[in-house]
Amino acid sequence: MMTGEIRTTEGDISERSRSDQPAPTDEQGTAAESTAPPGVIVTEDMSVYYGKFRAVADVSLSFATNEISALIGPSGCGKSTVLRSLNRMNDLVPGARVEGSVRYHGDEIYDKDVDPVEVRRKIGMVFQKPNPFPKSIFENISWGARINGFRGSKSEMSDLVQEALESAALWDEVKDKLQESGYSLSGGQQQRLCIARAIATKPDVILMDEPASSLDPIATLRIEELMLELKNDYSIIIVTHNMQQAARVSDRTAFFNVKLNDQGMRTGRLVEYTETSQLFTSPTVQETEDYITGRFG
Amino acid sequence: MSPRLALQEKDYSDLFPEGEDLQRQIGGRRRREGLARIFFMVVLIVAIGALATLLYTIINAAFGMTAIVNTVEPDTIVAEMGHDPEESGLSDLSYDELVMVLENSVTNNVGRRLERDQRFYEDRLVFENETTWAQICASSQAPTGCDAAPRDKAGVLQLVNERVVEPDVVETWELIPSLLEREVIEAEILSAEFQAAHPGARPEFRAWLNWQFVTSPQSPNPETAGVRTAILGSLWVIAITVIFAFPVGVGAAIYLEEFARPNRINQLIQTNINNLAGVPSIIYGMLGLAILVRVLEPITSGSFLGEGGSATENGRTIISAGVTLGLLILPVIIIASQEALRAVPNSMRAAGLALGATKWQTIRKHILPAAIPGVLTGSILATARALGETAPLVVVGASTFIITDPSGPFSKFTVLPIQIFQWTSRPQDEFRNIAAAAILVLLILLVVMNATAVFLRNRYSRSN
Repeated sequence: MMTGEIRTTEGDISERSRSDQPAPTDEQGTAAESTAPPGVIVTEDMSVYYGKFRAVADVSLSFATNEISALIGPSGCGKSTVLRSLNRMNDLVPGARVEGSVRYHGDEIYDKDVDPVEVRRKIGMVFQKPNPFPKSIFENISWGARINGFRGSKSEMSDLVQEALESAALWDEVKDKLQESGYSLSGGQQQRLCIARAIATKPDVILMDEPASSLDPIATLRIEELMLELKNDYSIIIVTHNMQQAARVSDRTAFFNVKLNDQGMRTGRLVEYTETSQLFTSPTVQETEDYITGRFG
Repeated sequence: MSPRLALQEKDYSDLFPEGEDLQRQIGGRRRREGLARIFFMVVLIVAIGALATLLYTIINAAFGMTAIVNTVEPDTIVAEMGHDPEESGLSDLSYDELVMVLENSVTNNVGRRLERDQRFYEDRLVFENETTWAQICASSQAPTGCDAAPRDKAGVLQLVNERVVEPDVVETWELIPSLLEREVIEAEILSAEFQAAHPGARPEFRAWLNWQFVTSPQSPNPETAGVRTAILGSLWVIAITVIFAFPVGVGAAIYLEEFARPNRINQLIQTNINNLAGVPSIIYGMLGLAILVRVLEPITSGSFLGEGGSATENGRTIISAGVTLGLLILPVIIIASQEALRAVPNSMRAAGLALGATKWQTIRKHILPAAIPGVLTGSILATARALGETAPLVVVGASTFIITDPSGPFSKFTVLPIQIFQWTSRPQDEFRNIAAAAILVLLILLVVMNATAVFLRNRYSRSN
């Protein structure tokens, strides 16, 4: 009977979000975001399509320098799609297409003459599952620097690797086994290795796609502490399923939700984007409040 | 209440078997599992049995008792040369002595022919006189002996065996009876009846697969014939096949898997590659004959490099055969490599690209090393298939009888399977014995090649 009740409630909510979804709400969201300071990455009316399917519609966001911005929302709301669109990782998905504007320091990253390699050079990424290369710990970190034309000497490369590992709070654990395979580390260590790898190329922005979702609470905590330290040097955009995590680490939070269109297609859309403290204490949109209070999803 | 909720009030656990029912149900599932296991085991035993029978038949023919009649006994030759037959055999004679034996035994005509094929000494002639030799060599149809290096000791020893000793195997027995009833067979050979039919016949246990067999060239006598030419031919052809098919196949797989967009043309190419893997090999032989042997003759005959005399100039060369077999196994290599590349998780590609690497950098440093064990496994299997291929090479034009070793990609050639095919179709019993020996050589070659490749693969995947 319990599950039955919950299901009824859920049905009601999706009913509401479909029928009495007030048009002004969207404008409120947009209004809140337009007051934000000009950011390092700014999207305007960005829509992402997979073939004919519109996965995310009309996202306008501005991510500020040296801040952690979190993207939250239920499964399938397109937050990861949005994140991957910010450094053109969506190019890898066959049929993926981005409309609207995505600017990095004012430059359109989807312009024809922009090389995605250049974009990804400046906007690094850490993935949901740790994905170190099947190489030594040292090589995992030095490779990114080397392919990007790092001109330093051998000792400078060692220093760079050490610095990246220190920034990722991994140095003390691996300093004696730099030549061992990256696979020999635990899951949490591997994820920090991936963060160190991203840092070593000296990017400007780091995108993190649920970086702690496959880790235990202690490893998660370490990653969160790490993010707070890293934000002094980098702008971080993180996708997370975990609202507490968003509340703990982020400065701004964007809430995404799914909308069913007439054909029953699920399209993600930005509901609200504002300072984290405000979003979690006094959200302006009913949908957001339902989500963060756990009455949804 | 919605109907859906009403449904949930029903307790579905009643519908699962409990107690004895559960036991019976599990028992039934276990019995089916047991049947499946027995079936698979029987299938495996049948396969192993078939293989064992094959090996048994081959080994049975490759070794066994023989009754041999020598025209001239080797001991007599050794004694004539002034050595003690008790202490030394034919192979202990020096090069000069062996040539002398030949000189004493063969007719001058035969001797001259042998010398024209290949001389005995760099500085002097044995059968031919200097003036005629100079005339022959100056003519437009100079024999091979004019420029070829002189014979070596093994070659002359074989000549002595073939031309002087002339051992003739008059009857053969299979391995198993030879082992179990050796005395009976020996008694039979030495019996008056047998000796009357074959005077001087003596029993000898003969391993048809022996070192002399491996190192001797082809010969019309089964007693002296060997597979050296065929082994070298096989190795040359396979080398060309691998050099051609491996880079092209892996390259095509990388393009199709990593770079090609899934548009119509690429889908068409993919479908065609899959279908090509099933085309009968003789069709590839026709292709090789039409394109490589005929159309590309100036290239495949080597005449564009000024190689090969006017008499040998045609496209039926090692390079034609190697490329034909390369085309034959190309689809297999492409498909296997594609599978291996597909098995590399996408997260690895994402990891490389997210660092600002180009696609090629990511592929070369991370994707390809991760895929290489699979790529090599496919290539090894494909190469093994090429090594045993006969039909396309018959069409491309392997030589049926050739005694000169291949000297390069533009030589005429024969390969082991063709040699085996030739011998099995001869009427004399002894050819079946050497065919079995040649099959063993082919099998050993295959095993050695595969073992090397597997060793290299394991070393490569460990170093990663």
